[in-house]
Amino acid sequence: MKIPHALKLRAAVEARRVLDEVTGIASVVIATPDGFEIASVARRDVEPARIAAMASSIAAIGAVVSQEAGLGRCTCITVATDNGFALVSPVHSGETSLVVNVIADADAVLAQAMYRTAACVRALEAPQP
Amino acid sequence: MRDFKLVFTGPMGVGKTTAIAAISETAPIATEVANADTSVAKATTTVGLDFGQVTLDNGDRLRLYGTPGQSRFDFMWKILVRDALGLAILLDNSRPDPLADLAQYLDGFAGALERMPCAVGVSRLPSHPTPTLDDYAQALAARGLVLPLLAVDPRRKDDVVALIETLLMQIEVLDEEAAP
Repeated sequence: MKIPHALKLRAAVEARRVLDEVTGIASVVIATPDGFEIASVARRDVEPARIAAMASSIAAIGAVVSQEAGLGRCTCITVATDNGFALVSPVHSGETSLVVNVIADADAVLAQAMYRTAACVRALEAPQP
Repeated sequence: MRDFKLVFTGPMGVGKTTAIAAISETAPIATEVANADTSVAKATTTVGLDFGQVTLDNGDRLRLYGTPGQSRFDFMWKILVRDALGLAILLDNSRPDPLADLAQYLDGFAGALERMPCAVGVSRLPSHPTPTLDDYAQALAARGLVLPLLAVDPRRKDDVVALIETLLMQIEVLDEEAAP
C-alpha cells in the first residue's frame, strides 16, 4: 500500500489543526495501518515512530474486538489514564487506510478531543478534488 | 486439564500467522493490515497479534499467540510473552541473513528465554540449504544456548505440531525438575 503524497500533506495539516484547536493535546501522530508515521506534531518530547507502531497495534486489536463482539466497525479506541488519555481512530480513504493517534494531558476535555479527532478522520476520508 | 500459553515469533513473512491457522481448531484471530513497507513483497502484515487454540487428546489446552515480526512492534513482544510457558522462533532460510534474524529474536526475548523453554523452527531449508541447522546450533552455542532446532514448513500441520510437541516436552521436564 502506497500513501499518496497529497494525503500525507493533508495529514500534516489536519494533525496540526487538532493540536492547535484543542486545549491539552500533547501530540497527534498519523500513521499507516502497519505502523509507519506519516505526520506528527507534538507539544512535548514524544517518539512518533514508537507511537505510530503502538497506534497501529491498538487499532488492529480494536477492529478484531469490534468484529468478535458483533459491534460493527471500530471508530475509536480510548485509553484513559491517571494523567490524561489517548485516542486511536482508524481512517479509511478510498483504498488507503491510516490511523490517527491523539495523546492528551489531564487538562484536555475528552469529549472535545473525541469530537475534534472524529472531524480530523472525516477530513482525511473526504474525497479530494 | 492444563492450559499452556505458547508464543510464536520470527521475522515478517516467515509464516507465524499461517502456522497458527494450520493447527487452530477455532477460527484464528488475526490482526493483519495492508503492508506499506515496500522493502518487503508482502500484501499484509500482522501488527497486533495472532491467536489460535488447540485441545490435546488428554484435554490440555494450548493457547497460541503470534507476534508481529518487525522490531518496531517489540512492545507487543513483551506483552505477548508475559505468562507464556514456551516460545517458538520461526526463521526463514531464504532471507538475506537468517542468523542475524535469530540473533534479533534471541536479543528481543532475552529476558523470557532465561525462564522459559524455546524451540527454533527453520523454513525453506530444502531450497536454501545454508545456513544449516548445525550453523544455527553453533550460533546458539556461542551464546551459551542449547535449543531444539527443527526444519519446518509453517503451512504443514504436522511440522507445526512437531515444533509444539518439542516445546511441551521441555515444559514437562521443567515441571518434573520443579516438583518436590
